[in-house]
Amino acid sequence: MSSADKNLSVQRYPFRAMGSECEVVLAVKNQAQAYALAQKAIAEVLRIEKKYSRYTSDSMVAKINQHAGLGPVACDDETWALLHYAEQLHEQTQGLFDITSGVLRHAWDFKSAVVPAAEKLDALRNKMGWYKVVLQNQSIALPDVGMEIDLGGFGKEYAADRAAQVLQAQGVSSGYVNLAGDMRFLGAKPSGEPWMIGIQDPRRQDQVVATLPMIQGGLATSGDYERFFEIDDKRYCHVLNPLTGWPVQYWRSVSVAAPAAVVAGCTSTIAMLKEKEGLAFLQATGFDFLAIDSSNQVHMR
Amino acid sequence: MFARVLTLTAILALQGCSMIQPVEAWQKGTLALPEMTFDDDPLERGYKEHTYTSKEASSGGSAVGGGGCGCN
Amino acid sequence: MAVIKHNSKLPELGAALLGAAMTLPCIMLSAQAETAPEKGTLSFKYLNYKERQQVTSNAGSSGAWTDSQSSASAYDDRVHVKATATSVLLPLNGEWSLSGTLVTDSISGASPAYHTQSLSKLQDFRRAVDTSLTRYLPNGKLALGLSHSGENDYISRAVSLLATQASDDKNTTWTAGVAIQRDVINPVNQIVASEKKRGSDWLLGVTQVVSMNDIVQLNLGHYSGRGYFSDPYKIYDERPTDREHQTFQARWNHHVAALNGTSRLAYRFYTDTWGIRSHTIDAEWVQRLGSEWRVAPQLRLYSQNAARFYVEVDPRIAPFPTSPPPNALHFSEDQRLSAFGAVTMGLKVTRQLSVDTAVDFKVEQYGQKAAWKFNGLGSQGLAPFYARSIQVGITHSF
Repeated sequence: MSSADKNLSVQRYPFRAMGSECEVVLAVKNQAQAYALAQKAIAEVLRIEKKYSRYTSDSMVAKINQHAGLGPVACDDETWALLHYAEQLHEQTQGLFDITSGVLRHAWDFKSAVVPAAEKLDALRNKMGWYKVVLQNQSIALPDVGMEIDLGGFGKEYAADRAAQVLQAQGVSSGYVNLAGDMRFLGAKPSGEPWMIGIQDPRRQDQVVATLPMIQGGLATSGDYERFFEIDDKRYCHVLNPLTGWPVQYWRSVSVAAPAAVVAGCTSTIAMLKEKEGLAFLQATGFDFLAIDSSNQVHMR
Repeated sequence: MFARVLTLTAILALQGCSMIQPVEAWQKGTLALPEMTFDDDPLERGYKEHTYTSKEASSGGSAVGGGGCGCN
Repeated sequence: MAVIKHNSKLPELGAALLGAAMTLPCIMLSAQAETAPEKGTLSFKYLNYKERQQVTSNAGSSGAWTDSQSSASAYDDRVHVKATATSVLLPLNGEWSLSGTLVTDSISGASPAYHTQSLSKLQDFRRAVDTSLTRYLPNGKLALGLSHSGENDYISRAVSLLATQASDDKNTTWTAGVAIQRDVINPVNQIVASEKKRGSDWLLGVTQVVSMNDIVQLNLGHYSGRGYFSDPYKIYDERPTDREHQTFQARWNHHVAALNGTSRLAYRFYTDTWGIRSHTIDAEWVQRLGSEWRVAPQLRLYSQNAARFYVEVDPRIAPFPTSPPPNALHFSEDQRLSAFGAVTMGLKVTRQLSVDTAVDFKVEQYGQKAAWKFNGLGSQGLAPFYARSIQVGITHSF
């Protein structure tokens, strides 16, 4: 066995995907193997990005949205499973989690920093509503022209889980996949110690408000600081309540640790959407969380 | 005899304790911290056991065997 | 795709959210098996230990010691130990590991010939080797250990076997261990020659994860030995040729996330066939500072009563040695078998230099006084003694 085989140092592979800085971190015996494994994981992230991006014209999501009002679109197994997942979340949250709420981005433009007029919001809300969507025969139909689905609510987290699965299947048992703060862990550092993950202060980008020790499962954070604008000290962030059309205000950030990144991500998003009821919701899930409210108070389990 | 009864009682109490919530794999980050384990510095433990058995009458507790020394 | 087994008391909501995700393909919800260490470790630690005992300022080193507070501003040196310990852990092909530790002690200074009197110089050198071969199984491990310790008048050899078995969710781990020892003593003063001592001990333990911030361990141990237990360098020392002891130990580590610190508490009860019972309480607080530093103040409280055959200091005869009771079969004037209490205060600082390397520094002060016995009824006529200990260590994963 060469000395390279015995070397179990931690390798980091940064890359850019889904509009953000991402990273694959792993420790394996063979350093040359580490590069190849990371590339496989990165390829899986890019595959999912390409397939479910709202922005590329040939993605599955684009195809479904282009057919809005024009009849059903056949789905492959993966897409079908993701749509069913979205449906279950819609049911479990009584409509609060709704992947047809993406159209609201036409009203809330974070670059122009303008609060939209009520009529514009109402018009868009007519184009929303998962309850209108028809799922049957492994196909999806959006009944009205102008309706859209957007998997941004859990797409990144799903990609983190899938990329981690690629690594685990190849025998990686130390490392993690980090897609702009949505993370899935494969096992402790080679020394057996946990990865110490800093949770960013929602108001100070370079400051960490707490450090969470992680070895398995997923960690995801939703916050009001990723895309927002402020008018008169009031912050309008990108997390929009589909029932009102307005951004949520109660939480500055919610981080959740759960068995998988998708579960962590959806839980943190739902907590943000539930605003004041979010804390009771987080408590009721049994998952571990760190939530910071608008008065900067930290709630943890 | 007394020690045996004490241990058995404690173990039974632990098993019946309803405060124990099974901890899932994704929650074990904290438990992997070295200070949360029971033997994170074996060399320190070795020195500790050896120095205390050389100036006090008691020995043992959490390990078996190990070399003795002339500090009868 | 194997799915994680949930003896989960995850509340309904959490279980529902998790259940929904289980329909998604290939997101790896299966539990991973515990594996052997993949990295080797090399550690080194140096110890400098210095004991001294209190004496009356005007009576000199073999003068009588009194309880009076006004006396005793001078100290006599006792045992001084400088030790180095090196240990290596080598993973072998995924299911095995081999570890070895080498400890070298250099002992000098002085030790009392009876009670805390008549300090006689000593000089010794001890080398001890411990090796262990471990086989990792799906839910546990088996370890075989060999030890050999030698100094110019004492050789000790031991073999041990340790087995651990964890529950499927890894929250409960059972431990069982047995060991046998064979010692030979050949004192330099030739009071006796080639005396032997044989012993065996077993240990049963359970470690239970109580919550994500709490872990508890209970241990029960038993030792039984026959042979030469006396100390040939002490006068009036004739101990039984057998000894049995039992220990019960409880430990609890508790992490406080809000403070970024962990409390570590332990209690041990000891009882043996020589009539000695002791209590040991250990308390430590490990405070994390940033990502690189750990600072841990420690406190240990100890109390023991005297062995049945311990001979108390007769103040009428002091400083001359007290004669054992006539017709006594067993007797000893060894301070270690008297009734006393002891307090240790320590501070350990650890710094992580890199992902693979850490250094640590520990300073400790120990004091042993008859008056500190928990119920205050300690042995009389014995000088309190103190020890300060400094440890410096480094550990590196490769």
